[in-house]
Amino acid sequence: MSVFKEHKTIADRASSDRSRHRHKIEKAIKESIKDVVAEESIIGQSGKKKIRIPVKGIKEHRFVYGMNEKNKQVGSAQGKEVKEGQRIGHRRRARAQEGEGNKPGNKPGEEMYEIEMSLEELAGYLFSDLNLPELEKKNFKFTTQEKMKRKGKRPYGIRPRLSKKETIKQKIRRKKAAIKAGSYDPESGERFSFHESDLRYKHIAPVTKENTAAVVFFVMDVSGSMTKSKKFLARSFFFLLYQFLNHKYSSIDVVFVSHTADAHEVNEEEFFTQVPNGGTMVSTGLNKVEEIIDKRYHPNNWNIYTFYCGDGDNWSIDNKDTLAAFRRLKEINQTMCYTEIGKLYSYKEYSLFAGSQEKRLWDWTKLVEGKNFKRVRLEESKDIWPAFKKLFGGKS
Amino acid sequence: MADWSMEELLEWDKKICSLGEGLKLDWYPIEYEICDYKEMMGHMAYTGLPTHYRHWSYGKSFDRIQTEYNLGMSGLPYEMIINSNPSISYLMTENPMPTHILTMAHCVGHSDFFKNNRMFAETGADTVIDRFKSAGKRVKKYMEDPNIGIDKVENILDSCHTIKYQVPRTPGLKRRNHKQLKKYYKDLIKKDDSGRFNGFNINKIPLEPDTNLLAFISEHNRYLEEWERDLINIVEQESLYFIPQACTKIMNEGWACMIHEKIVNSLGIPDNYFLSFIRLHNQVVRPHLGRINPYHLGFKIFKYIEEKQGFDECLRVRETHNDETFIKTYLNEELCKELNLFTYSFNNREGYNKVIDVSGKESWQRVRDDLIKSIGLNSIPVVIVKELKKDGTLILQHEHDGRDLELSEANKVFEHINRLWQGDVRFTTIIEDETWEF
Repeated sequence: MSVFKEHKTIADRASSDRSRHRHKIEKAIKESIKDVVAEESIIGQSGKKKIRIPVKGIKEHRFVYGMNEKNKQVGSAQGKEVKEGQRIGHRRRARAQEGEGNKPGNKPGEEMYEIEMSLEELAGYLFSDLNLPELEKKNFKFTTQEKMKRKGKRPYGIRPRLSKKETIKQKIRRKKAAIKAGSYDPESGERFSFHESDLRYKHIAPVTKENTAAVVFFVMDVSGSMTKSKKFLARSFFFLLYQFLNHKYSSIDVVFVSHTADAHEVNEEEFFTQVPNGGTMVSTGLNKVEEIIDKRYHPNNWNIYTFYCGDGDNWSIDNKDTLAAFRRLKEINQTMCYTEIGKLYSYKEYSLFAGSQEKRLWDWTKLVEGKNFKRVRLEESKDIWPAFKKLFGGKS
Repeated sequence: MADWSMEELLEWDKKICSLGEGLKLDWYPIEYEICDYKEMMGHMAYTGLPTHYRHWSYGKSFDRIQTEYNLGMSGLPYEMIINSNPSISYLMTENPMPTHILTMAHCVGHSDFFKNNRMFAETGADTVIDRFKSAGKRVKKYMEDPNIGIDKVENILDSCHTIKYQVPRTPGLKRRNHKQLKKYYKDLIKKDDSGRFNGFNINKIPLEPDTNLLAFISEHNRYLEEWERDLINIVEQESLYFIPQACTKIMNEGWACMIHEKIVNSLGIPDNYFLSFIRLHNQVVRPHLGRINPYHLGFKIFKYIEEKQGFDECLRVRETHNDETFIKTYLNEELCKELNLFTYSFNNREGYNKVIDVSGKESWQRVRDDLIKSIGLNSIPVVIVKELKKDGTLILQHEHDGRDLELSEANKVFEHINRLWQGDVRFTTIIEDETWEF
C-alpha cells in the first residue's frame, strides 16, 4: 500500500532562483550589447528593425567531447534503412576550435540566448547604463524660447484685453449676493448695473519654453583618404549618436552633409556609399552646415548637434577657415564634435609630407576645445563606446 | 478538474501493489505527492528532490521546461520518482486516471530497481531526503550570512557544477583520503616481499590517480574556508548519489516499462482505459530515430531476456547488472539488427553527420561497443588528478580514449578549476594526436 499526499501548494519554489537567473541574463544582455554596437549588422537600420542579440555568459560549462569523426554516437533506425557512409541530418558548421576565429553564434550546440529587440529598445538599454539624470544637467540644456501665454484674469489691464465673460460672471455673483443680503430686490425692475470692480482683464505673461526638437548634422569627409573601414567606423559612431539623441528629444531631424573640396547635402544612403573623389576642404562642409542652419534651423528653436568625422587630412590653406567655422558653430550648437578616425601620426611621419611647421587638424582643433566643442578619436570599433561615453557621460 | 477521485487511486494502488508482490518484486513503500503541473515543473527543475539547495541554474531549467511546455515542444513526464525510502513520486492532478495507473505501476518498477540493484547499495536511500534538506539549509545559511552572501556562494557553486561529473564512476566505493591511502600502502609495502613496490614514492600526492576532482580539491586546498569546503562537499555528495542512476538509466527505465506493462495487462482495467494505456505505453517505448531512447532499448532487451530465459532471469539481471554489462551481455546480433542500431559521427570536412557502421554481420559488435562508449557517464570525459607538486601546482590529465575534448568548453572549465584550486593548475589532453596543455 502506498501513501497519497495531497499537499497544499506552497510558494513557487523556483521563483527566487528564476529571478536570480533573469538577473544574470539581464546583466549578460548589457554586456553583449556593447559588443553588438561594434558589429556591423545593426548600423544604418531603422529604429523599428528587430535585431537579435546573442547573449553569452550564462552557460554552464562541462568537459565534453568535441564534435568530430572520432566521437561516435549511436542511434536506432527501426524500420528504416541506413547505409554506411550515408549523410544524415542537416548540414552544420563545425564547432570552431580555439584559435580559428571565435565568432559567437557559429558553434552549434552552444547554449545561446537570443534576445530580440528593436534598435530603439536597444538604445534604451544602452543609455540606461549611462547615468542619465546627471547627463541631463550637464549636457542637455535645451534651447529656450520666450512665448506669451495666457495666465488667468486680473482686475486691471488694457481695454482690448477685457474679458466680457468673466466680467459678467463677477456682476452676477455680486447681484446674487445683494439679493441674499436684501439690498437689491429683483422684482423692483431696477437695473443692476456694472461696477468698476466687476471688470476682469485677460492676463498674458511671457513664459520660457524648452525646445524638445533637435537637429543633428552628420558631416563627413568622403575624399579618397577615407577608406571603407574608416567610413564604417564613422557610421557606427553616428548610429549611436543618432539613437541617443533620438532617445532624448521628442523629435529629431538628421541632416547628412558630405564634403570633399566642396560640400553637398545628401541622403543617408549616399552619405555612406558615395564614391570618394577629390581633395579635402573641411571648411566647405562646415559652411554648408551653417548655411542649412540659417535657412531651416534657427538656433532659438532647435537644439543643434553637429558631428564632424574625418581622418584629419585637410588642405593646409583651409585650416584657418575651418577653425573659424568650428568656432562659429560651437556657439550655436549644444555639442559640436570633431571626430578623427585612424591613428594619430607621429610628428616625424607627417612632417615628412607636410613640412615640420604643419600641424594637423587634430592639433588645430585643440585650440577650439571647450564646453561645447569636443574631440574624439576612433581607431577601431571598440573605441566607439568609450568615445561615446566621453562625449555624453562626462567621464570616459 | 480531474476526472478521478482519491478513492479510485487508492483502489488501483491496492491492486497494483498486490500484482507487484505477485511478480516477486520488492520495493520501498511509495509516497505519491499529488501536485499541479507548475509544481511538477518545479520538481523537475530540482532533479526531483523536494529539499534540494538553491542555485540560479535550477531557475534556468525551470524557465526552459516552462517555455518548452507552453510552446508544446515537450510534455511533462508522467513519472518522476526518487531513490529514497520511502520513494517519493509525483502525480500530476491534470493527468487522467489511465495515466496515473501507468505511472503508479511504472513507479513500482523503479522503486524495486532502486532497492535491489547493487549499484544503489551505498546511496543511503533511508537518509537521502534529510541529507539534502540539511545541505539545502546550509547553502541557505551561507547565502544569508552577511560575511558571505549569495554572490560568493554562487561563485563556488558555479565552479563546482562545471566538474560535478568528475567523480568516480564505480558506485559504492568509499573514498580513502590521503592519510588512509598512505597507511594502506605502507602496510602493503611492509607485507610485500615481491619487490613490486621498489621505487614506489610513498610521499607522492595522490598515491593513486584520483578521479574525484571535487573531493581532492576539498581535501588538499588549504586556502579554502570551511563554508567553501562544505559547498564543494555538498556538490560532490549529490553527484555520488546520482552516479548509480546515470549508470543504469537504460536498465532502470527498461525494467520499469516491463513491470508497468505486466501489471497493467493483468489489472483488469476497463476497455476505454486500456486504449489510453496502449497509446501511452507506445509513446514511451517507441524508438527515437537517430538516437537512443533508453526506455525503448532497455525494454527491448528485458523482453528478449524474458522470452529466452524467463522472468526469473530478469529479476536476477535487474539485481546484478549495470548498463554497461547489461548491454555487453545481452545486446546480441539479433537485437542489434532488429533495433537497426547504427553509429555516426560529425564529419568536419563535409559538415554532415555521417553513418559509420550499421548493424551487420561483422560490424554489429563495433556498434555495440560504441554504444557502450556513449551511454551514461561514458559520454563524459575522465579527468584525473595526476600529481600535487610540492610547490602547490595541481597536475590534471584528461584520460584520452580517442575522443578529443571540445577545447572551448574545456578552457572555461579549466578557469573554474583554477578558481576553486586558488593556485597553479596544469591540465594536459591530446588534441589531434598532439599533447595540449592549458
